[in-house]
Amino acid sequence: MSTPAGISSSLLDARQGRALPFVLLILATLALLFYEATPLSKLRHAQFDHYQQVMPRLRASEPAIVVSIDSQSLERYGQWPWSRELMAKLVQQIHAGQPLAVGIDMVFSEPDRYSPQVLAENLPGLPKAALSGLSDPDTLFAEALSAGPSVLAVVGVAKSLPGARQPHKPLTLLTGENLLEQPVIRFPAALASRPQLEAAATEGLINASPDKLNNSTDRGVLRRVPTIAFVDQQPFLSLPLEMVRQALGEGTRVLPETNRHGMSRIHIGDYSLPTQSNGELLVHFGKPNAHYYLSAADVLSGVDSPALFKDRFVLIGLNSTALQDRVITPLGDNLPGVDVHAQIIESLLSGSAAHRPYWLPWLELGILLLAGLMMIGTMASLRPSTAILGFSGLAGGLIGAGYLIFYQNNWLFDGASIAVLLSPIFVALLSHILITADARRRLAESQLHESREAAARVSGELDAARRIQMGLLPDPASLFAGEQRFAVAALLEPARAVGGDYYDCFMLDGNRLCLAIGDVSGKGIPASLFMAISKTLTGTLTRSSSDLGEAFRAVERELDRANPEFLFVTAFVGVIDVNSGLMEFVCAGHDAPLLRRAGVTSKIDTEAISGPPLCATGDYPFVSGHCQLEAGDLLCLFTDGVTEASNGSSMFGAERLAEVFAGSINEPTLKAQVERLRDSVRQFEAGFPPADDLTLLLARWYGQPRIQAEI
Amino acid sequence: MAVHGIIRSNLDFKEQAMKLPLREQAGVVIAAASGRIDHASADAFNTALEPLLKDCVGAGKPLVLDFSGVEYISSVGLRALMMASRQAKGQKGVFAIAGMQPMVQEVFTISRFSLIMPCYMNVDAACKVLGS
Repeated sequence: MSTPAGISSSLLDARQGRALPFVLLILATLALLFYEATPLSKLRHAQFDHYQQVMPRLRASEPAIVVSIDSQSLERYGQWPWSRELMAKLVQQIHAGQPLAVGIDMVFSEPDRYSPQVLAENLPGLPKAALSGLSDPDTLFAEALSAGPSVLAVVGVAKSLPGARQPHKPLTLLTGENLLEQPVIRFPAALASRPQLEAAATEGLINASPDKLNNSTDRGVLRRVPTIAFVDQQPFLSLPLEMVRQALGEGTRVLPETNRHGMSRIHIGDYSLPTQSNGELLVHFGKPNAHYYLSAADVLSGVDSPALFKDRFVLIGLNSTALQDRVITPLGDNLPGVDVHAQIIESLLSGSAAHRPYWLPWLELGILLLAGLMMIGTMASLRPSTAILGFSGLAGGLIGAGYLIFYQNNWLFDGASIAVLLSPIFVALLSHILITADARRRLAESQLHESREAAARVSGELDAARRIQMGLLPDPASLFAGEQRFAVAALLEPARAVGGDYYDCFMLDGNRLCLAIGDVSGKGIPASLFMAISKTLTGTLTRSSSDLGEAFRAVERELDRANPEFLFVTAFVGVIDVNSGLMEFVCAGHDAPLLRRAGVTSKIDTEAISGPPLCATGDYPFVSGHCQLEAGDLLCLFTDGVTEASNGSSMFGAERLAEVFAGSINEPTLKAQVERLRDSVRQFEAGFPPADDLTLLLARWYGQPRIQAEI
Repeated sequence: MAVHGIIRSNLDFKEQAMKLPLREQAGVVIAAASGRIDHASADAFNTALEPLLKDCVGAGKPLVLDFSGVEYISSVGLRALMMASRQAKGQKGVFAIAGMQPMVQEVFTISRFSLIMPCYMNVDAACKVLGS
């Protein structure tokens, strides 16, 4: 082929069009192995976020209350940061309600600006006595903190910032758990509160792991937070987990569960959460709720009673537009950072978190390879519609499976990415199928066109043959126009375009009418050729010889001389002296003609003289017979296309023909009668294709002078 | 349905090789033909006859076709018989037909094929005449 379609198909045709899809599968595998480095990772995050949006974590209980330093608080108690005295008062109010633990989402790394020490530095003119009489606000705050389980925030930093130092109270882990060998997050230093405050409380990390701000569409969504991390070799829990540990009591065991891939789970007392291998928690967010938010102003003023905090976790955090501590969640909410801590406490207590087990990426890779190879292996044999349906089903199934698995186990299975990575392979395979199908269709079309042309040629030739064959048959109406002594009508309908039947009628001389009918064995073109020869020979030899038997013997000799196919012909020839009505006839294996005389149907008696068909033996001594016609006699010559016409279960038969012949006797003309006989046969066949050629010839002798047809 | 059945059986005939079960009686080889011998089955009939005719020579055993199972024979079928008869005659073998049903008998009578090859009422009659 030299068409453009041919060129592109030859490119895709390499190894049945599988080379390109195979390369694409390898590329897809590589892309999945290094997924986070590809732009496709955004699709994965969007997919995982959508799981949470469709199925957010249900928040049945509200174990945590957030006391927020909001706009109302700033309005009433002045600018942030507040004095430690005020903070101390706030913590006192909360501890009065006996909460499970208080967590403060802030770091107090510098001394209060109203501490005597700072005042003395800033205002050197102040009398020392006055200063010594002042109480240190940090001392007051530390006292307030020590009134109950309190947790202060620690921020791990990647670089040693000014003021950064090691917090004092690391987590005590059981010996034997060598967490340091695990790929857990490490910070070289941290920002921690003043030692004085540290002594009065414990500490938890408030670092989150928002995704990088790589572009405006993914603005640092918070999906992961560390549960545990090292600050200079010392382990620390995150703030919410530390709060739970404090609530359970100082002796509560913390157990990071590990396997050879890293951390898998963190246990705090009887509670636990699944983690990634680096100890990060994939937070399953619930819908945000304002119910558990109290204003610090209301707590300080006593509007909200401390009894509200009984047996609850209390978080103190900032929630004012002016104070920037907000995060964006996968649900698309913009929340105060402290809300995340409250949600993690809820998650730990209910044990529910999103999770991506270490083997899940390998499972995804396996599915990608399996599906890809399956597609490459099977798609070439599928119809395009089946292939499209199959792939749609596969892609839909993979995406649906992601939602189902998240619903069942909170596992983050990324079916969508597999579907996306499979689609180039699918497109390449489908293109191949379509191009092949198109080429095949074009080929089939051209073949069909050719065969149609061939059929048209053959049919054209057959038409010509048919015209010639039909032209061989005389038309009695024009041949005997104006004839008063007799009448003839005939018809011939081949089963195919051409046939092996023939009839003939002509005047041998002024007084002798010759009638002939013949049937070559078989039908179609071979029979038609033999028919033409037989008819011509019969006509010629009958004219030239005085005796009909002699004529038939000559015909058989001539036919048999060149008959390699061993065809044979049944024939009946009658010669009527139209003046006397004497008929001489000869018969070669043909049905005896019907004779209608004076209202009675009989047969011409050929039994005595009839021989086998012409060419059956090659040398049969044919002799002629004689019979005297009476004025008004009607002869009916026919071939077995009439008597052996079939309707599928039975044949028309000679008896039925005799009946129909008798029944049609009153037709006004012989032509009408012969057509009626033909119609009866076709009616009997009831749509069955004719098995053989059909020929009918009717001849009536009127005698002299002409006598009207019988009544 | 009956109509379809007939058509299908005709088609099957065309595709299948025709079987002519053989037996021997009084030194005569008897081949039993059956069904319709028409345009659709004539070729198969010829093919099945061929090996039998090969042995139908002057010194060999006479061959009789048992036609009691044949329901119909068309002109194409007659041609097959004619050729068989000519071949047997050429080899000086004896070839005959026996036990024709009335309809087949009528075809033979009209076409005078009874003049071409010996026909017998039944196999026993044929064996009586041709058998050793």
